[in-house]
Amino acid sequence: MILAMGIFLFMPSDKAPDDGKIRLKYWMVSAMLEAPFHITEFNKTHKNIFIERTPLPWNEHEKKILTSILSDNPPDLIFLVTPVAKWATRLALTPLDEYIKRDNFDSTIFFPALWEEMKFKNNIYALPLYSNSYAFFYNKRLFREAGLDPEKPPRTWDELLEYSAKLTKRDAKGNYTQMGFIPTYGNVHTSVIMAWERGAQMLINDGTKVSLANQPTIDAFKWMADYYEQYNVKDVSSFQAGFGFAEQQGFVAEKLAMMVLDNSFPDQINHYNKNLEFGVAEIPTFEGFEPVSFSGSWWFAIPRGAKNKEAAWELMKFAVQKNIQLTEAEKQRELLFPSNSSAANDPAFLALNPSNKIFTNLIGHSKTPTIVPLAHDVFWREYIGAQERVIHKLQSPAEALKQAEKIIQMHLDETIEYDNYVRSKVLVN
Amino acid sequence: MINFGLNKLSKQQARTGLIFMMPWFIGFLIFGLYPMVMSVYYSLCRYDVLRIPQFIGFGNYEKLILEDPYFWTSISNTLVYTALRVPLCIIGSLLLAVLVNNAVRGVKFFRTVFFIPSIVTGVVLSVVWLWMFNPQFGLLNSFLAYMGISGPLWLLDPNWSKPSMVLMSVWSIGGGRMLVFLAALQGIPKHLYEAVDIDGGGWWAKFRNVTVPMISPVLFLWSVLEIIFSLQVFVEAYVMTQGGPLNSTMFYNLYLYNKAFNDFEMGYASALAWILMIISLIITIIQFRLSKNWVHYDGGAK
Repeated sequence: MILAMGIFLFMPSDKAPDDGKIRLKYWMVSAMLEAPFHITEFNKTHKNIFIERTPLPWNEHEKKILTSILSDNPPDLIFLVTPVAKWATRLALTPLDEYIKRDNFDSTIFFPALWEEMKFKNNIYALPLYSNSYAFFYNKRLFREAGLDPEKPPRTWDELLEYSAKLTKRDAKGNYTQMGFIPTYGNVHTSVIMAWERGAQMLINDGTKVSLANQPTIDAFKWMADYYEQYNVKDVSSFQAGFGFAEQQGFVAEKLAMMVLDNSFPDQINHYNKNLEFGVAEIPTFEGFEPVSFSGSWWFAIPRGAKNKEAAWELMKFAVQKNIQLTEAEKQRELLFPSNSSAANDPAFLALNPSNKIFTNLIGHSKTPTIVPLAHDVFWREYIGAQERVIHKLQSPAEALKQAEKIIQMHLDETIEYDNYVRSKVLVN
Repeated sequence: MINFGLNKLSKQQARTGLIFMMPWFIGFLIFGLYPMVMSVYYSLCRYDVLRIPQFIGFGNYEKLILEDPYFWTSISNTLVYTALRVPLCIIGSLLLAVLVNNAVRGVKFFRTVFFIPSIVTGVVLSVVWLWMFNPQFGLLNSFLAYMGISGPLWLLDPNWSKPSMVLMSVWSIGGGRMLVFLAALQGIPKHLYEAVDIDGGGWWAKFRNVTVPMISPVLFLWSVLEIIFSLQVFVEAYVMTQGGPLNSTMFYNLYLYNKAFNDFEMGYASALAWILMIISLIITIIQFRLSKNWVHYDGGAK
């Protein structure tokens, strides 16, 4: 705790001399050391506004922002990745509808999945700035070694299981030394993608009812159970415990031959393991179903009670423009995927990286990881918990999902009740 | 004016005394009493800091006890951890104190060496042990492999995760607790041991009939404190496992923290905090009752 506070005290903040300009306080949850291009360019082109950027540590960001709003001294703009609805229901954000209407702001420039996330109860609360797009990565050298065609990545999940068997190696004691695929490793939950591909609807009745124990999700969990039946949880956990970050990441270290990874990885691989020969392909699906991807948005919004709303809105409009997003992608491509779809489809962007075409294509049919916006954390905690219980054979897929569904529903009901109570007592907006 | 039977001088002294007390007293009112009273109120509400609280009576307590499976998981995890850790800590520190109480050459060196590990703070300790427990590269499993034993997955195995964390606390048995025991041991009059020698008793008789009764107040104090500390276990789980695998290290305070600072359910978290207070209180009262049977204070009164 003290450590985290210490780090915060020494955070760099781009301070400027007192020169009569509007000071725009911009808090960013991000590890970027240098100011992103949209800030430096905005400061260059706008003479009357100066942006003071403050990076927020991930662990502390929620507390910091909430207390600043509570003490009536919030920043003018915040940059976050957690669900917009979660912040909107707490009355932490200023709705943008007025500004959008007044300036005829065109919202169709964004990828539809990202734009959907910005809404809560008929209002718009934020604009998407970046996203990440996921695709299927595979190691061509390991494919060749296993006698597989390096130009033919698996197209279906069943095919992936066959490939995986060929790509798995054990040492004399029976410990894994190389594996084809680990469905629970990484940021992407393979089982959610599988459930979506089979058409799972996890939130129904206008956002009031959680449906987790549905057939597509049960089938996805069965696939997971079968996988771990074949590979043994304990052996896989032990193997996975040897993975770390950067050059120790399982795929980068060439211990894992296939993985679903985001658009930052072509550069990361280039940086940490130049010799890794990899291919990027569409995420597999089931026979007869369309592939689905996974993408959340990094968004920015104006907190309730912000002092410089107009200036903040000015910056927001500025940063999502096609040319700004393009230049930003060129300068900092390891972090960002543009939210502006014309920027992502621009030949200049596609030429940056041979796999960008696949990323841009996949983000077009991606779904958001914000599945139950008002119970986001509980949803993922319960979902992962249910998956763990199934993998460890403590419960059947249907039992585990029913239990999770019940708890998420309980939480969602309470949140909605509290929201209704607050709205009945307080004049909202 | 009420005169509390004080003359002029002592009145003045009382006033000065009160003025000197004020900084503490005001601090206590604002940062101690006020939050405590508010947390009683919030425990009867839905409240997320940003919005107005919604009074729901005993709804939080009802939900906790009747509907929340994690409440019971976290209580049983915490009790198991406490039951395993407290005896290990008390007995371990006592034995170590007895060892370094011997007047052997270089005993001061050993006292220092045993004390050093306890200087490390909880977060650093947890990060270090995270590596020691690593099933592939960790020190423990490498050592076991050298002996021809295939080690467990430690923190990754739901059956081993709690014992692993108990094992970690071995690290601190040479700390402050050992020093206090040592001080108590040195306060035991030599003639009591001589009396045992005259009666023909051995080391066990000395330990059982002199050492333990003579330092029983210190043992009692530390068993009360250690139980309270163990019930509040947090850092290890927060840093190393975040409650996993399969919620096997979801301790009470970690659950409380998650509710308060991840979910921002301050009302619910307040209710959790008060229940922990009540549990600690009950255990401490039981200990005080039982202490009458085994704790001896100076003057011979039990």
